[in-house]
Amino acid sequence: MIKLESVTKVYKGEVLALHEASCDIQKGEFVFLVGQSGSGKSTFLRLLNKEEEPDNGKIFVAGKDIARLRRWRVPQMRRQIGSIFQDFKLLPNKTVSQNVAFALEVIGRPKHVIKAQVPAILDLVGLQTKMNRFPHELSGGEQQRVSIARAFVNRPLILLADEPTGNLDPATSVGIMRLLERINEIGTTVVMATHDRGIVDTMRRRVIELINGEIVRDQARGVYE
Amino acid sequence: MRLDYMARETLRNLRRNLTLTLASILTVAVSLSLLGIALLLQRGVSNATDRWQDGVEFIVFLEPEITDNQLGLVQEEIERSAAIESYRYVDQEESYREFNEDFFPENPEITQLVTPDIIPPSYRIVPKQLSAEAIEIVASGFETKPGVKKVVRATDEIQKIEKATDVIRWIVLGAGAILLGTGLLLILNTIRMAIFARRREIEVMKLVGASNSFILVPFMLEGTFQGLVGATLGTASVYGANRAFEEWLASENVLNILQSFAVGSGEVWGIGALLFLIGGLVGSIGSAIAAYRFLDV
Repeated sequence: MIKLESVTKVYKGEVLALHEASCDIQKGEFVFLVGQSGSGKSTFLRLLNKEEEPDNGKIFVAGKDIARLRRWRVPQMRRQIGSIFQDFKLLPNKTVSQNVAFALEVIGRPKHVIKAQVPAILDLVGLQTKMNRFPHELSGGEQQRVSIARAFVNRPLILLADEPTGNLDPATSVGIMRLLERINEIGTTVVMATHDRGIVDTMRRRVIELINGEIVRDQARGVYE
Repeated sequence: MRLDYMARETLRNLRRNLTLTLASILTVAVSLSLLGIALLLQRGVSNATDRWQDGVEFIVFLEPEITDNQLGLVQEEIERSAAIESYRYVDQEESYREFNEDFFPENPEITQLVTPDIIPPSYRIVPKQLSAEAIEIVASGFETKPGVKKVVRATDEIQKIEKATDVIRWIVLGAGAILLGTGLLLILNTIRMAIFARRREIEVMKLVGASNSFILVPFMLEGTFQGLVGATLGTASVYGANRAFEEWLASENVLNILQSFAVGSGEVWGIGALLFLIGGLVGSIGSAIAAYRFLDV
């Protein structure tokens, strides 16, 4: 599903974000990316989304070399990838259901599809009673659920999560991880960058560790360290 | 692509940025009316100097009741002159037509007073040498010939008209062009503000895979809309200015040289169409630059 072949990314000619990184992630896997801040985790995710271009190496997403995608094809590719973030990136002037509906509206989905899918996905993330609230009226965990709903409402093949529990307390984080596990069980490939030792150690999934942009460990059913 | 979404987003942006939008529209409107007025003036001058085309430097007007004998002598003189390159005889019928069509196309009450037999026939003369002195020598030679009413030199008439209008035209044109540039920058800035105000939404749109055109089009529409509304106001004021000029001409009962400046309404609409084109272009170019610079799709 995702394949990196000796990918190197250098920012502004000096900061080495990724160095000769190679890995192969199968469909339906759940992968933790671990490492200190600045080790290249976010760059890894941004490259998959084509928000950044690698300086060297090849990246395949869903079997396609994404460097060879035409510019106007990139949005199509991104529709197969959902993304969630530490800071949620919700639109503050839209309600919960409007935030989720927005993701469908802007890719041109017809109204009746939006009407059917938004409540269904909000049901899945457990927010059916808060559809008409605004983001600032929700707790951090609830906001992250909205952002997961938005990322997943289009049923992407891949979910990229950049420190999704970074702003949440441990108990709330567990709830979010349960939700991501459920999404993974449906067959979605999940790649999650995290600092959270507890989560990694209890879930025992594949762990890819980055140090200064190099993959130093790639371990099935791994732990944080 | 969802049209209702595009329209809604465009309108919302316009409302959100109302003051800057109004400033852009008004600047475009004023600049385009100046351009339009400069063009009107140019059409007017060209209407007024129509008979001075193709190198005609002076016209020998003959008495309407000139005898065939006198006419023959003048013609012979022209043909014999080594200083004359070519000439054209315009008889009374043709002069009458020209008078009606070119000068007073919209004032039948004036043309009714005129009949072909009181209009002077004329020779339009293209001299070989174009220096003022050379022309003067040839032209003045005809003034004393029997049957000649008057010799009118291009230099007298055209220079008078062009001198008076050229400076004005260039000032108006220059001011219009500068303002048009200002309008473009204002539109660019308005769009930039709109993009900035919606940067979170744009980020999310890119993230979930909205197509580039879906992100771009509302901003392009917004800029083009501003340009076109400006063009509408500009065209309206050019039309108004022309109407006011026509009314002023009609109120003068004397046959005034200014009468020949009248511009037909067809020409005004032509100018209006041109202003629309320019307004639309300025709007879309301004927003395209802003989108290209600040949207990064």
